Amino acid sequence: MAELKPPILEVKNLSQHFTTGRGKKRLAVKAVDDVSFEVYTQETFGLVGESGCGKTTTGRTIIRLYDPTAGQVLFDGWDISRPMNKKLRRFLSDNIAMIFQDPIESLNPRMTIEEIVGEGLFVRGEQDKAKVRKLVYETLDLVGLTQEHATRYPHEFSGGQRQRVGIARAIIVKPKLIIADEPVSALDVSIQAQVINLLNDLKQELGLTILFVAHNLSVVKYFSDRIGVMYYGKMVEIANAADLYENPLHPYTRALLSAIPEPNPRYSISGNRVDYDPARDHDYSAEQPSMREVLPNHFVYCSQGEYERFKLKVSL
Amino acid sequence: MIYDKDKLPIEIRNLPDEDFALVASDNIKDEKLHTKPIGFYKDALVRLSKNRVTMFSFGVIVLVILLALIVPSLTGYTYTEQNVSRKNLPPKIQGLEKLGIADGTRLLVNRKKDSLTDANRYPEGSVIEITREFDANGVAMVDVVIDYYKYSNVPDGTYYWLGTDYLGRDLCTRLFWGARISLLIAFFSVILNVIIGVIYGSIAGYYGGNVDYVLTHFAEILDGLPYIVVTILFMILLGSGMLSIILALTVTGWIGTSRLIRAQFYRFKGREYVLAARTLGVPDRQLIFRHILPNTIGPLITRAMIAIPGAIFSESFLAYIGLGIKPPSPSIGVLLSNGQSVLLQYPYQTIAPAVLISVLMISFNLFANGLRDALDPTRRGEE
Repeated sequence: MAELKPPILEVKNLSQHFTTGRGKKRLAVKAVDDVSFEVYTQETFGLVGESGCGKTTTGRTIIRLYDPTAGQVLFDGWDISRPMNKKLRRFLSDNIAMIFQDPIESLNPRMTIEEIVGEGLFVRGEQDKAKVRKLVYETLDLVGLTQEHATRYPHEFSGGQRQRVGIARAIIVKPKLIIADEPVSALDVSIQAQVINLLNDLKQELGLTILFVAHNLSVVKYFSDRIGVMYYGKMVEIANAADLYENPLHPYTRALLSAIPEPNPRYSISGNRVDYDPARDHDYSAEQPSMREVLPNHFVYCSQGEYERFKLKVSL
Repeated sequence: MIYDKDKLPIEIRNLPDEDFALVASDNIKDEKLHTKPIGFYKDALVRLSKNRVTMFSFGVIVLVILLALIVPSLTGYTYTEQNVSRKNLPPKIQGLEKLGIADGTRLLVNRKKDSLTDANRYPEGSVIEITREFDANGVAMVDVVIDYYKYSNVPDGTYYWLGTDYLGRDLCTRLFWGARISLLIAFFSVILNVIIGVIYGSIAGYYGGNVDYVLTHFAEILDGLPYIVVTILFMILLGSGMLSIILALTVTGWIGTSRLIRAQFYRFKGREYVLAARTLGVPDRQLIFRHILPNTIGPLITRAMIAIPGAIFSESFLAYIGLGIKPPSPSIGVLLSNGQSVLLQYPYQTIAPAVLISVLMISFNLFANGLRDALDPTRRGEE
């Protein structure tokens, strides 16, 4: 089981605040607020939540596209949230790669596929062009593209193909962890399956760990071993995938899961939707909420009172 | 399961799993593309060549440049050669003279009729036609068309294609020599502007924040300086000449380019492919020059092409108000300035440079428009 392996990524109390304005007009947006979770070696950790809840920001902060406001991120025991320097950038780019959401946006329109995919190698100081070309061809082959595609420009490809180029770019540097930032949300359903299956195959083949950021719950369930649910910059529930879908405890998770469409009109009409209103569903005036382990490996962000209610509920 | 089997309609509730098979195979293998690969610049070139107006204006620009290179050595005069006895001659061109255009004639008005017979003033054959005879206070007056070349005692077979100026210098030579100088000033000042603007704008746009704040405000302050004053200071410092004009056009000229580049950097630095390159560990310098700057090439070239006629015009303006290059070197502006003082007597001295500068400016603008369309990646693939 994945749980037995040591964590490869530990996120501890990570916060990412964005500020605008100066002086009195200063405004801080808490995109990610005190988030902690662990990702174990060779598992897929799904990060879900509605738009704007901070899941993408979490991913980007881990790979240091943003400098974290507070908290610590450990990768393989290394602190990767410390001030940036060349060594750290190198360590990060050697070990963590990212796949982006928009397959059109994420490929430079002025570069050929070979340049795009091979760039990571050249940045690493690889001089031998023939060697890079060979590796690029191999990687393209791995994602189902042909050698002939290498000389083409991104605009000549379909969305699914471009996303696979993005995957090739990420895996060519042989990272340990891939942060997949909604890699399929811009693709149509048939292509989504293709890309997800490809990621799954590559994960097995290369022994990858994947942090999968998405808002499509069906895809996340299919793909992830464990899932973290985020709401307004907070992590509200972390559990094994099956556990989470069977026993959603946090009211927000329940609301989120009830929104999954079912291929059954009667179900939709019956009004099984749950809505979530933090002011109504929680009373945090007496006691502050925190992450509590309700079931083994099933954490919920709740107060002591809620914790006892959840305990009671799962024991029934 | 997400799907509760009991909620499904009865007829599909009990379908055995074995009845289902995957439609697509697990292995994805794409086919080759059957079209030829086409690069960005090649694509731009193809679309550029399809635009007739652009190609025409490009042709005109090339023609003017060629003329500026060739004509001064074809006329047989130099731009400094003075001959006071041949001053203000009208245009005379071989071949065309027989058609009545550019035949070296001029209409003189209000002449005493008696003087026409004076061979000293009107040499043999110089009077071509008397267009009007009238009486002014008892004196017989005439308006007369004369062959100005014979009138000025210029030997037969001498041709000044665009006439001569008040010092008897060949205007054709001076015009194209002037075009040469104007174009040189324009090209050099634009190249300088682009280099400075690109570097400045890239730094401001890429790093943003306080760096951007300081750089942008410095540019704003510089932009506030009246450039006539700056030009005059340069003239005092370096003397009037090409260098001081180029520098004067550069002092504030680069600010527009830097703003453009800065805006482009703001637009592109947050793009996912730039982020992707950053996650791969691509250093800043490479991000700027390989990932962001190529995207600004389109607007940059367009802007530079529009700036060229702007620079020609600025140079002409400076020359016109007397801040031009050192005489006897001509520039289009100098010629216009000289021509306008005798505009009513000798209009041809103004018309030729005015036509040339107009043609140049229109051509550069049309060409820049076409280039912008061709280099715009959003219009790729349009026929």
